[in-house]
Order: sequence, then structure tokens, then C-alpha cells
Amino acid sequence: MKALDIIHDANANLWRSKLRSFLTILAIFVGSFTIILNSAINAGVNDFLDKQIANMGGDGYLEMMPAEAYDSFASMISTSGPQEYTEDKDSTNQTAYIKDEQIEKAKKIKGVKVFNVLPNASADYITSDKIEKRYRLNLNLVVDGIDFDMSHGETPNTAEDADYEIAVNEDLAKVLGYDNVADIVGKTVKIAVPSTLKCYTAIKRSECHTIVEAKVSGTQAPGILSMGGSRANLALWKRINAINYEGMPAETNRSYQATADVDPDRVKEIQKELEEIGLKSMSVEDEVGMFQSFFDAILIVFNIFGGIALVAASIGIINTLFMSVQERTREIGLDKALGMSNSKVFLSFSTEAIMLGFWGSTFGILVSMIVGNVVNKVAIETFLKDFPTFQLTIFEPMTMISIALIIMFIAFLAGTLPARRASKKNPIDALRYE
Amino acid sequence: MKNVLLSTRGLKKVYGKRDSKFEALKGIDIDIESGESVAITGKSGSGKSTLMHLLALLDQPSEGTIKLNGKNTSKLKQRKLNRLRNKEFGFVFQSFFMNTNDTVINNVILPLKIAGIRRGERRKRAMAALETVELGDKYKNKANDLSGGQKQRVCIARAIVNNPKVIFADEPTGNLDSATGAKIEELLFNLNREKGITLIIVTHDEELATKCGRQIHIADGKVIGDGKGVAKHDPSFIEDENLDGIRDKNHTKEIDVEEE
Ligand SMILES: Nc1ncnc2c1ncn2[C@@H]1O[C@H](COP(=O)(O)OP(=O)(O)OP(=O)(O)O)[C@@H](O)[C@H]1O
Ligand SMILES: [Mg+2]
Repeated sequence: MKALDIIHDANANLWRSKLRSFLTILAIFVGSFTIILNSAINAGVNDFLDKQIANMGGDGYLEMMPAEAYDSFASMISTSGPQEYTEDKDSTNQTAYIKDEQIEKAKKIKGVKVFNVLPNASADYITSDKIEKRYRLNLNLVVDGIDFDMSHGETPNTAEDADYEIAVNEDLAKVLGYDNVADIVGKTVKIAVPSTLKCYTAIKRSECHTIVEAKVSGTQAPGILSMGGSRANLALWKRINAINYEGMPAETNRSYQATADVDPDRVKEIQKELEEIGLKSMSVEDEVGMFQSFFDAILIVFNIFGGIALVAASIGIINTLFMSVQERTREIGLDKALGMSNSKVFLSFSTEAIMLGFWGSTFGILVSMIVGNVVNKVAIETFLKDFPTFQLTIFEPMTMISIALIIMFIAFLAGTLPARRASKKNPIDALRYE
Repeated sequence: MKNVLLSTRGLKKVYGKRDSKFEALKGIDIDIESGESVAITGKSGSGKSTLMHLLALLDQPSEGTIKLNGKNTSKLKQRKLNRLRNKEFGFVFQSFFMNTNDTVINNVILPLKIAGIRRGERRKRAMAALETVELGDKYKNKANDLSGGQKQRVCIARAIVNNPKVIFADEPTGNLDSATGAKIEELLFNLNREKGITLIIVTHDEELATKCGRQIHIADGKVIGDGKGVAKHDPSFIEDENLDGIRDKNHTKEIDVEEE
């Protein structure tokens, strides 16, 4: 008997008791649908988190500052959304800085590969030609070699002699006066940079501002982390630093921010050691990890549901096929009398089980793709509006195929019991069976 | 020049165990020659079907030997037995035995499908077999929709589709009216005459039995009469030279037990 005949007959036999097969397939479908949709959401969220991690500099990337400066910084980044700038609200004036001995010690910590001290750069607000309002600006430096998750435009040019460029946080870009966020790309924004020395003597803070114009190279996709802020390129950063320390002795131009590339496997230990020397650091895991573990827990629960559904479906397969073996006793007897081998009988019932798994998982994939895409569309228009690069569900073909294959294998395993019984039937007994 | 096809010695069959133990066959010694038409007769429950199943290698005897072309069949592997039944034997079982939900042609195709023959080829051969039993026009029908006689003819078509050397028929006319029964008988004896197919027919119909070249009477699992009576259908008494030629050719066509 040929393989094609076996598959053809298995399918034909399934449709002989349509309702029964349909219900069994439905049970498999429920399980596979749950698991496939879960894995698609998992892929979607992980893709998003990966982008977030890249935004922050990758797995082994640490940003740090002296413990004394950390609290005021943390309070600044935790406030969500753009904040309007008012003169009475003083900007963060950093007095704490990273000391040379701290740098020396930090560089010696095992696993620290690169330790960069960033020159300070602080700006008071950002505005554009289109608006009157001013918004507080939380600046970061574009780190070379890291792909930021840009929603529009490009990452700023990191060359030292490049034009002043800034990647504006998308939330901020929305309030800078352009109807369409994408339109801001290539436009100029104005950044008010205080000169520390002048500000000591100034009566109004605006008196000590130097307005720097910078080109918006693109908008940075907002993440779950408002940490991102906006990112200046090195040229702009250095210009802002120069204005900040205008007229002040070089020794005062000290840094309170540092970044480090470290061994991703020792991040936790390194953070601890940094804290011992007075440097408070933030790793990507600190930011993303909590969210991820919470999310993973939810997915595990759903996957357990899917798994239970599959166990139930397997029992359904066993039951269906046992009934089928019983009903077809005479048929099996005839097949065997006419020379069909035990292994072929076993194979034809196993194939039937695999077919049940095949249809269940195929419908599972199709329906979950339809549902996933609909949910995606709805999500992007509603609660994920702020995260344009976030796709809630991603259907990876290899994952889909593997899940389908695993489900077909489970179905095959469930089918071995009834298939064994069928193959062991004695043709004479089967022929006498009424 | 005798050509013994099937030969049994001390054949016993015991059903059940201990208290419910029942000896259905109590030592059968028979020899069946190639090209013979043999009727196995006896009362209900005498062990006719049991004997036929043993001869057809569908079941194993509790004791005794069955030789096919001189080879002891108990030494054959399951694979070989399957092949023999599939390629060399044709079966017509007691009470129409078919997949009633399937089409007529698919029922006839079954042995060829099991043999793994190509689609086109097996269809052609199934159609030819259906033409032989004059059911060519019914090939698409559902088997269940046929009349009793037609169903039995489909079973005969299925039994001959693989060009068997032996046909085992268990009560082929048992459920049929005499006119239809006569037609089925004619079909079977034609195959015996024209193609030299060995016929082993289980029946309790005396008339059918006498049409066979030989009658083996069974009672209580024992042979009580092995009449090599001269029946008018016995191929060895047909004077037609042409038929003789065909028959002789077929008679020499042995079942190759060693094959593969
Ligand atoms: N599987 C079995 N278990 C126990 N006893 C059996 C079994 N098969 C057959 N028998 C018994 O063996 C005896 C012979 O049965 P068999 O079917 O060969 O009879 P038969 O001659 O073909 O009868 P009929 O003409 O009614 O078909 C019967 O008494 C029957 O009850
Ligand atoms: Mg019987």
C-alpha cells in the first residue's frame, strides 16, 4: 500500500464520522490556537523589548551616576510625558560628580570592558518655530554603534564634526507644533542651554540661556521606558557642554554621568561593585527585566491552559480512534484477510491521528493569525497608539510550523494506543464480528 | 500427473480454553489438486468455515500441518503469508463481506490497493473484473445500494481482480434466491474451467456441491466422506481441446512459495 493511499484513506475515514472528527479537531484547535497566539504575542513583546534593550545600549550596557545625583535624576525620568518648562522650576543643577578614584576603581572591576565618562550637558528646554510653549528637555547622548528604535527619520550622525543633530522623543515631537509627527524630521528645533556661571548672577534665568539650533534627524520611538528622553549627537552634546561651562575653570567641568560596556553575564555583580564605590547604575534588565518577568508569568499561565487543552484533545483523539477501531472491526478484518500487514494497519490509524492533529493545528494557525492581525490593528489604533513600532503579535513561520509538528506528534502518540489495538486484531475474529 | 496444491495432515483446531474448550476440527487429512473444484459440505457448526480459514492461511491450526505446493506453511513468515493471500488467493466470505459505505469499484480495487499497484492500472483491472461479473455499469454506485446478488458478484469481482490461483468461497449462494445463485455458480465454474482457478467452496447446498468435481463431507470436525465423484463441471472431463490447452497451461502455473 502506498503512502499517498494511506494519507488519502485516513482523510476519507475522518470525514466518514464528520461530527465526531470535527469535535476532536475542535479540541485540538482550541489548544493549538491558544499556544500559537501565545507564541505570537510572546514574539511580538520580545521583539519590542529587544528594541527597547537596543535603545538602552544592549544587554551589557550600564548607565551610571554618583549615588547622590541619582535621586533627582530618577525623579525626573519617572514623570511621564513632556513637561512644560517654567522659569521658577529650577533645572537640575548637578553638584555631584564622578571622582577620578571612582573612575580608576570602576575600570578595574572584573567584566568592565569599556568605561566612558560623559561630559555633562544639560539644557533647560526645547521649542520650535511653530510654537510658543517650551518643554523641559531630558538629554542623552547617542551612543555610537547602537541601533535606536526610530519611529521616523534616522539616528543622529555620531561623528565628532557632524552638524548638531537630535533624535527627539516621539512624545515630545508631538507637541512641537507639527500636525504630522513625521514632518518634524529634518526641521530645526531650538534648545535653551544655560551657562552655569552666568546663571549665578542672572536675575532671570532666561538671561543666562544660549539658544542652540539643532536639526531633528528623526524621532525616537517611545518605549515603556521614559528613560529614553531625547538623544543628542556628540557634536551637539559637546556644544552644550561648552556653553554649560563657559568661562569656568577646566577642573570644574566634571562629569556626573558614565556609561560602561560590561560582560552581560556579570551585570548584576558589576552593579553591586559599582554601588560599593558610590556609583549607582542602571542596566537594561533593571528597566526591561521586571516587565518581562511579569509578562512571562502571564504567558506561562496561558501556555498551561493551552497545554491542558491539548491533553484533553489527546484523550479525545484516543477516544475517537478507539470508537473508529471498534466500528471498523470488520473492515480491518477484511483488509488483513486480503493481505494488509499489521504495520500498515497501525500506520493507517496513526495517520488518521496525525491528520486530526494536522487539521487542528492548521485551523489553529489560520484562526490565530486572523485574530492576531485583527487584535494588532485594534491595539495600534487604541492602547498601543503611543508605541507605533510595537507589533502585539508576530507570526514567525518556523515557530508556527514547529508548533504544528509538535501537535501532530502529540496526536500521533495519542493515536498509537488505538492503532495498536487495530493492528493486533485477528482477521478471523474480525470477520466473525457483527 | 497430479499436482497437489494444498495438503493437510492431522489438522486440528481447538477454540477456547479449559472448560469452554471446543475442538472444532479433529484431525483432517485432505489433498487438493491444482485446478480442482472442491465442495466442503456438512451441517451447520460442523467446522466447514474453520477448515476453509485454515486452508486459506487466515488462521493457524492448533495441531497438524498444511502444505502449500509441498511447503509447510507454518514455517512461512507473516509477510509471506500476507503476500500469498493478497496475490494468489481470492476470497468470497460467508455473508457479503465488503465496505458498504464505499463505492463498488473501490471495493473491487481493495486487494490491488493493498498490493500497492498504481492508480490507473488498478482501476483498469477492477473495471475488467466488474465486466466479468456484468456490473461494469454500477462501478460508481455505493456498495450498499446494490441488491444481494449484485453484492455477491462484487465480492467475486474482488476475489478475481488479482488473478488468483485459488478462490475460497464460503456459502457464495447462501443468501441468494435460486436464480441469482445459479448465476453466481456459473461465474465461479466458468473461472474454474476457463482459467484453471482452483475452487474451494463451502456450502450446505447439495445441488451446488454436486456440481463440484469433488465433495468433502464434514461432521463434528471430521471428514466422513471424500467423494471424488464425477461432476459434470469437472474440468478434467471437458472434451473441448481449446479449453484443455488453457487449463493445462494454468495447471502448470505453480504458486511459488519460495518467492521473495
Ligand atoms: N472463535 C470461536 N470460539 C469458539 N468457538 C468457535 C469459534 N469459531 C467457531 N467456533 C465453533 O466451532 C464450530 C465450527 O464452526 P464453523 O464456523 O466452522 O462452522 P460451519 O460449519 O461453518 O457452520 P455454518 O454452516 O453455520 O457456517 C462451531 O461449533 C462454532 O461454534
Ligand atoms: Mg460457516
